[in-house]
Amino acid sequence: MTSADATKSEGPAQASEGRTRGTEQSMSGTRPDRVLLPTATGAESLAALRAMLHGHRLLAVGAITVLVAGTGVGLLTAPLLGHIVDLVVDREGAPALTLPLVLLVVVAVARGVAATVGSTLVARLGETVLAALREQFIERALRLPLDRVEAAGSGDLVSRVTSDVSMIGKSVRQALPEFSRSALTIVLTLVGLAVLDWRFLLAALLAAPVQVLSVRWYLRRAAPVYGEHRVATGALQHQLLDSVGGVRTVRAFRLNGTHTELLERRSEAARDLGLRGIHIVTGFFSRLNLAEFIGLAAMLGTGFVLVDRGSVSIGTATAAALYFHSLFNPINATLFLLDDAQSAGASFARLVGVSNLPAERAAADHHTLEDGSVEVSALSHAYGSGAPVLHEVDLRVRSGERVALVGASGAGKTTLAKLVAGVHSPTGGSITLGGVDAGELGPAGVRRAVALISQEVHVFAGTLADDLRLARPEADDEALRAALDRVGALEWARALPEGLDTVVGEGGHRLTVTQAQHLALARLVLADPPIAILDEATADAGSAGARVLEEAAARALEGRTGLLVAHRLPQAAAADRIVVLDQGRVVETGTHEELVAAGGRYADLWAAWSASRREPGEKVPHPAPGADSDVDAPVSPTV
Amino acid sequence: MPTGGPTGGLVLRRAIRGQRRRVIAASLLGMTHQGCEALVPVVIGAAIDTAVATGSSEQLLRLLLVLAVLFLVLSTCYRTSARITEGTGEIAAHRLRLDLAARVLDPRGGADADRLPGALTSIATNDARRVGSVATVISYGVSAVAALVISAVALLDISVPLGLLVLLGIPPILWLGHRISRPLERRSETEQEHAAHASGVAADLVSGLRVLKGMGAESAAVARYRTTSQDSLSAALRAARSRAGHEGAVLALTGVFIAVIAVVGAYLAMDGSISVGDLVAAVGLAQFLLGPFQLLTYVNAELAQGRASARRIAEVLAAPVTVEAGHEVPVDRAAGQLALRGVTLGALRGVDLDLPAGSLTGIVAQDPAAARDLLVCLAREADPAEGAIELDGTPLTSLDPDALRRVVLVAHHDADLFESTLLDNVRAGADGGTASVERALRASAADDVARLLPDGGDTLLAERGRSLSGGQRQRVALARALAADRPVLVLHDPTTAVDTVTESRIAARLREIRRDRTTVLVTTSPALLAVTDRVVVLEDGAVRAAGHHSELLAADAAYRAAVLA
Repeated sequence: MTSADATKSEGPAQASEGRTRGTEQSMSGTRPDRVLLPTATGAESLAALRAMLHGHRLLAVGAITVLVAGTGVGLLTAPLLGHIVDLVVDREGAPALTLPLVLLVVVAVARGVAATVGSTLVARLGETVLAALREQFIERALRLPLDRVEAAGSGDLVSRVTSDVSMIGKSVRQALPEFSRSALTIVLTLVGLAVLDWRFLLAALLAAPVQVLSVRWYLRRAAPVYGEHRVATGALQHQLLDSVGGVRTVRAFRLNGTHTELLERRSEAARDLGLRGIHIVTGFFSRLNLAEFIGLAAMLGTGFVLVDRGSVSIGTATAAALYFHSLFNPINATLFLLDDAQSAGASFARLVGVSNLPAERAAADHHTLEDGSVEVSALSHAYGSGAPVLHEVDLRVRSGERVALVGASGAGKTTLAKLVAGVHSPTGGSITLGGVDAGELGPAGVRRAVALISQEVHVFAGTLADDLRLARPEADDEALRAALDRVGALEWARALPEGLDTVVGEGGHRLTVTQAQHLALARLVLADPPIAILDEATADAGSAGARVLEEAAARALEGRTGLLVAHRLPQAAAADRIVVLDQGRVVETGTHEELVAAGGRYADLWAAWSASRREPGEKVPHPAPGADSDVDAPVSPTV
Repeated sequence: MPTGGPTGGLVLRRAIRGQRRRVIAASLLGMTHQGCEALVPVVIGAAIDTAVATGSSEQLLRLLLVLAVLFLVLSTCYRTSARITEGTGEIAAHRLRLDLAARVLDPRGGADADRLPGALTSIATNDARRVGSVATVISYGVSAVAALVISAVALLDISVPLGLLVLLGIPPILWLGHRISRPLERRSETEQEHAAHASGVAADLVSGLRVLKGMGAESAAVARYRTTSQDSLSAALRAARSRAGHEGAVLALTGVFIAVIAVVGAYLAMDGSISVGDLVAAVGLAQFLLGPFQLLTYVNAELAQGRASARRIAEVLAAPVTVEAGHEVPVDRAAGQLALRGVTLGALRGVDLDLPAGSLTGIVAQDPAAARDLLVCLAREADPAEGAIELDGTPLTSLDPDALRRVVLVAHHDADLFESTLLDNVRAGADGGTASVERALRASAADDVARLLPDGGDTLLAERGRSLSGGQRQRVALARALAADRPVLVLHDPTTAVDTVTESRIAARLREIRRDRTTVLVTTSPALLAVTDRVVVLEDGAVRAAGHHSELLAADAAYRAAVLA
């Protein structure tokens, strides 16, 4: 038993370590106004677990059998030791000791072998199921409709995929083997006690009420404190990333004091909750000491009475005391791990909740697009219950045509782009792609036909080649180089430390915003969809980068229908046709020349843009009054 | 903090020394706890010997009373000692986090160079915790040694040969266990690396979900994750096999060891050198002793980890500063005249430039690196390798960097917004009242941004302002820079993601709000350049041309190409 107490004193240390480690990345940016993704109910979780174990029944039965056998063999130690005591008491000669010695050694070795095999099988079972679980989760998560993920905040999905998966992993790796072994040991020891004499079993059970009460006491207090601790460490982590990530800004605006104070507050909160957690864990183990004493005293008392009456030998009484002694460690471990089991259960429910969401309709293969034309008729859209963002928009884009969408912020350009790309379903009207109704194509089919590149850049962690191959997994290096070359990115890609094999993205070589968008355009070339939508894909790059990217975009769009949300007018001017949106309606449409000549809204925009670019000597037109009444001072190059 | 900062050893020693009293108190209590634990089997043996074997109920009651006192003492000591000692770790970690935060945010910089925010965050959380836990395990180690000594005395008191057998037998057993576990450690490490990698890939794919969906690459992404997950699975299985083997071997070794002790004890009991109770106690002690020995191994491993963590922390704390602090403080009402004399750093090769007080100057740099290095110098994120920059005649290097930033504000192109409300972000650098904030919001057209948000200016922005579009982010960042109202303001490409109409509006208002204050616009945007007093063109790291925007447009073809396209 007594080695139990060593692990016990390590208990809190490991516990608090495990707790902070597993949850470091949780709680980033969860806000109250979010509609979090669903969590499975207890029944759903159980059903999912059963379904996952179903395929591994043989493995599960094998693991349990070996563990039971090993634990059962191990329980022979105490009676053998008791037998040795009896031999001594009965003054048997030394040769009588040979047999128990041999048996003890055999038991030890058998136990070792069974533990090895049993734990391996348990790990195989646990790890295989865990791998299936996380793969299933990712598969479903990546196929969730985007608006559903956005409603929940991407932090929700990220925290499930990192902290929940690692929480379960930790349980499978550390808690499950120990838990299964300890629980088995307890059950079989109690059986062993009953075999020695049923009254020993009763004596042992005297400790149970205290244990039950302690566990209830512990779980009631620990769960909320650990929960808060997780939130607090998450918030601390978050604040660190916020302050450290923005350290240049912190210095420039002299915010050192404010941020140090914020960090101190978060760190203090984490520390105080940590201290409270320690208080509870130590209180718990301290209570269990009482149970140990009650049980041990009852065992010695029972032994005393039974030996006195001649019902059992001194050796049996010794064996019973040693049995109970050796129970301390497993009991403490099992009860302590109940908490981990609870957390793992909660994490499991969060994963199953997403995995159980209905799958998106798979892309239907029998619909083939006739061409790259896009036809939008009477398209209306509103987000949630909000005001409509688009009103009855009609738009016809010929196959291969390049159309620029122009308009002020909030005019509905991005919404129109997202609807055509299948990110959202419109609240009214219809979209036809290459002669096929978008509804019939299904979201997956639409995404195969239409690529959307927004100003949000993401460089996937891994080699540059891996990043590109996401767009076309079967592409060889030659194809990747050709795609990079087409968008004019091959030069810098070659110049990277290891060329296409350079590790980029999170933790790797950092690409500039321009390079990252270059990469996105190369992916577009590889994916090669008939229709492409660029939503301000060149906006964040800075003025020099924007021009490079516009050229690249033009090349990437060759041979496909292009819908561009343009924020730089030259890009719009170069398009085949310009569509001006205002407050969710199409107000003008035509070529650059037509619209400039028409003197409408686009002409005003163009005038404002050109004003600062005129060389002196030319007449500088002031922005037309009324077009933008907010302009305070006339924009003039001669200030 | 000059280069001679703390070493790893010093960090560790400080963490412990700062809480010497707590460590000592916890060690004393821990020793008592372990001593009592060691006595439990001794009492059991005595109970078998003097009560169960003899049938003396009086003796039984007495020993049960002793057992009760023993449990009371050990429970109290355990609880108190563990609370103190674990608390010590938490407190030490907290202090280290504050030290690290102070160093990283130091105005003189240096600690964040070449370190990713994620890495620094991990040092401030994981490494600080590990160093904290060194303060914790010290008391555990002391108590384990105490337990060893007490058990040894008890064993030797029962029988010298048996005692020696136990004491000399345990170290080789632990050594064997350690030998067996060495490949295990390596495999566990690989396992953790793989698990972390799989988790990283998953998080990365989910973060890039919009981009993945944009190109319909979900299936490719799922396939990629599956490969990573399977790699992680096989690493986990390899590690699990090792772990199971190690566990089995330790179980078998301990079992054989206990068997040997029991049989040798039985021989001794048979020839009458020890009693039956002594035998029971010896077996119990042999079992118990494995605990403190294991605890010592754990302490050792924690110390090794703690040392590595302390080294990483020390590296951050001792990171050389990028700019030496001067002691002078710029005058309260700085005129804001800047002069660059032969400034050379990175892509800059001898830049000579005068920025008169109250002027609005545009700087067009063909090479983005030159623009970046110029900003770095003006912000004193680095000092020029050669040449000097003067503010109102005082060299920047003689000024305290933090005090300098009270006069000169450099707003980078990629300046970060923080996770607070839009208004709090804008107000962050403003010393003035709400009037200056209002003006700044209007000048940068960030008031339009606020109007579109659900709670207006009180809307909480996501981390790095990611809940805003690029153009909105830029406008809020610009508002913040304007609201700070510094005598000298340097803006780098503040409107690249802003639409044309808004950009020209901003340009006009910018000139108005910065009237009589020194302002530098590093940009190629014609709308912004058009409102400047003078434009300076940098080429090959030096000033190539200067003049009014319109003159340069007319006279300079290269300029025209750079600015108009």
